[in-house]
Formats: sequence, structure tokens, C-alpha cells
Amino acid sequence: MYISEEICKSLDDKEIISRSLENMGYFRCVYLRYEKSLKRYIFKISNFSNDEADDILQNAFLNIWKNLNSYDNSMKLSSFIYRIVHNETISRWRKTNADHSLKEAIINSHSEEEPQEEINKSKYIQNILNKMPQKYKEILVLKFLENMDYEEISNILKIPEGTVATRINRAKKSFVKISKI
Amino acid sequence: MANFDELLKKIQNEEIKQTPKWQFDLMNISSIAFFLLFVVIGAISFSIILFSIQQTDFELLSHMGHSKLEAFLSILPFIWLVLLVAFVLGSIYALYKSKKGYKFTFTKLIGFSVGLSVLFGTMFFIGGGAGWFENAFALRAGFYESIQNKKEKIWQNPDKGNIAGYIQNTNGHIIELKDFDGKLWEIDIDTAFIPPSVFLEKGEKIKVSGKIISDNKFNAEGLYPWGGKGMRNKMRRKMKRQRQKKD
Repeated sequence: MYISEEICKSLDDKEIISRSLENMGYFRCVYLRYEKSLKRYIFKISNFSNDEADDILQNAFLNIWKNLNSYDNSMKLSSFIYRIVHNETISRWRKTNADHSLKEAIINSHSEEEPQEEINKSKYIQNILNKMPQKYKEILVLKFLENMDYEEISNILKIPEGTVATRINRAKKSFVKISKI
Repeated sequence: MANFDELLKKIQNEEIKQTPKWQFDLMNISSIAFFLLFVVIGAISFSIILFSIQQTDFELLSHMGHSKLEAFLSILPFIWLVLLVAFVLGSIYALYKSKKGYKFTFTKLIGFSVGLSVLFGTMFFIGGGAGWFENAFALRAGFYESIQNKKEKIWQNPDKGNIAGYIQNTNGHIIELKDFDGKLWEIDIDTAFIPPSVFLEKGEKIKVSGKIISDNKFNAEGLYPWGGKGMRNKMRRKMKRQRQKKD
């Protein structure tokens, strides 16, 4: 069953999940709603190429589909989805131990319409992020680039909220330190 | 949307099914059940350690030239210490692996696991369960030497001035004592310190410190109750009898 974009827009996250469990067509709404932001997230925390990011996203959505019954209503759907994508990306990163160039990653993460000044700023930030340890990099991306709150980050990374706060502080210090070098 | 269509095709062609909800529920319930089970085993181990502390005669043994630690280690069955550590670690892991386990800090995980094991263990010990359980375990596990056995070995040492057993007869300042090997001893208690908790009655299990005089004669310096289950009730009965006599 084909579900149009209009129908998807009229549904909230919980409705999409409950309907997806009964009718696979509604799973398209999850894809429509999160595809772009998830792909952006993959680029920000890794240096994968466009094709690899697509592949990760496909596998992640397959895992989301398989594990839809484990979704806990007390958690935001975005946390549930980001957690699976995050795990898939990190797992792939460890497996391939990829040595992708920074250039490629930056090219992937910017559209042609973006002003040059913004691109330069983004490149500068991404350059620093790439030099940071993974655990600091991912938490800064979630907090400042994905604009998530402590609870969401705690649910995605599966760490206590107190640890989220401490890690963000340490990550900020690390960011400042690297930026001065 | 090409990617979603590919995903849909893959799901349909490979007939990929969603993991049923009951499997996730079972996993969640299992981790909580394991947490509780590990806490209970940890609690039992802790209660037996408390029981072994209670059964260690720290003051008496340190008078005999043993340090308090040496006395405690000589009676503590290490298996319970190992089990306590293992199951507390197990309960920490099971709690961490539960649905919301990642929300707890490491300190909280340790706090909950250790706290519950200590709480339940203390309650089990106060209720008298530790001694009963340890004894029952010793009867079924051939490799295991019970706390009582270890204690008996420490006190079955007349050459070093320790002797223990059951009172057979009392005759003035002489009592007849049958030790744990079945040997009969004549014990002179004339100058011995005898606390109120010692009952000089036939069948009473007591400990005696003093000096060996000959093959079956012993000069007591102090008599002590064997200790353990039933001591408080015996004390209450004795005090009641004394009050009745006074009245």
C-alpha cells in the first residue's frame, strides 16, 4: 500500500509507528521524515562516502523495521532511530577502519546552495571534529549540530544523563584545545 | 525515494519479519529476573559471611596469640566470599543490561546491587537463615567444610589450651566433657571464669580454655558457651528461672 507524503505529514511519530506495525506501507513515513537528517548525521560522525552512507542507512532502516516492536513510547522516536543509525555507523566504522579523506566527507555534507561563508565555517568545524576522539565528536554533533537535549542523547548513546553532561564539557574543552593548535 | 523502494523490495523478497514483541518483553523480564536472582544469591553469601563473623571468637582467639584477621580467615569459607563478589558483579551487569539500565551511573549500579544484597543478607542472617542454610549446604556438598566444622577443629586442640564438647556430668568443681572425637575429659573448673551465659547442664555444648594436665585431665581458666542458634532463648530461660527463685 502506497502512503502519500501528505498522509505522512498528518501523522505524529507514535501514530506512524503503531500504523507501521500493522501496515508496512506506513514505514515509508519514517523514511521520509528521517532520511535526510540521518544521512547528515552519518556524515558528521564519520568520513564515509555517499554510497557507503546510503548503504549504512539502508541497513539501519532494515534494523529499525526488524526492531519496531522494541520501540518504547516513553522515548522520542528520533532517539530510537538515531540510536540504531549511530550503532550501525560505529559498527561499520570499526569493521572497515575506514580511512576516508576529510575532503570527501566535507563534499558530501554540503549542498551547492549553501553560501561560501557557511561552507568555510562548516569545513572549519568539521576539520576540528575529525581530529577529536570519536566519543567527544559524536556527543558534540548530537548536542550542537542535531540540537538534541540531554535525555535524547542519553537514549541514543545509552549512557546516563550525568555522563552526557560531563562528556559534553570535556568535549567542548577538547574542541577549544584542538582549535587553538 | 528509490532507496525506500529498494528497502521495501528487500523486506518483501527476503520475507524479513519483525522481531515479535514478546521476545523483547522476555529479554527485559529475564534481565530483571537475573538481577533479582543474583541479588538473592549475593544476599545469602553475605549472610553466611556475617554468620562466620558471629561464630569467630575474636576476643578468645586473639588471647591465644592469633590476630583478629587470622581468626576470621581461619573460619571464613572462602567460597561465600567468591560467590558474593561474583553475584554482586552479575547483578550489576544484569541491571545494566535491563531496559533502562543505561540510565544508572556506575555508582548507582553498584549501590543498588550491593545495597540490596547487604540489606536482604542482613535480614536473612537476623532471621537465623544463614546458619541453617550453611549447615544444609554442608550436608549436601561433600567438598565443603562447614563453619561449625572449622570452629570445632580450632577448639579441638588441647595441647594449645583449647577444648570443646558436650558436658556429660557435673560434680562440684569437676565436669566431665566429651570432646568432638568422643574422648572423655575431666575438667577442673574451680578457678575458672564462668560467664552467666554458660549453662553447667548435661548435654550443654561449651568451649574451655586452659591447660592440659594429663592425658584426660584439663585445668580450665575459662568456660564459654559454644554460641549460635538458640543462645538468646537459653539466656532468657535462665534469667526467668533466676527471677522465679528470687521471688
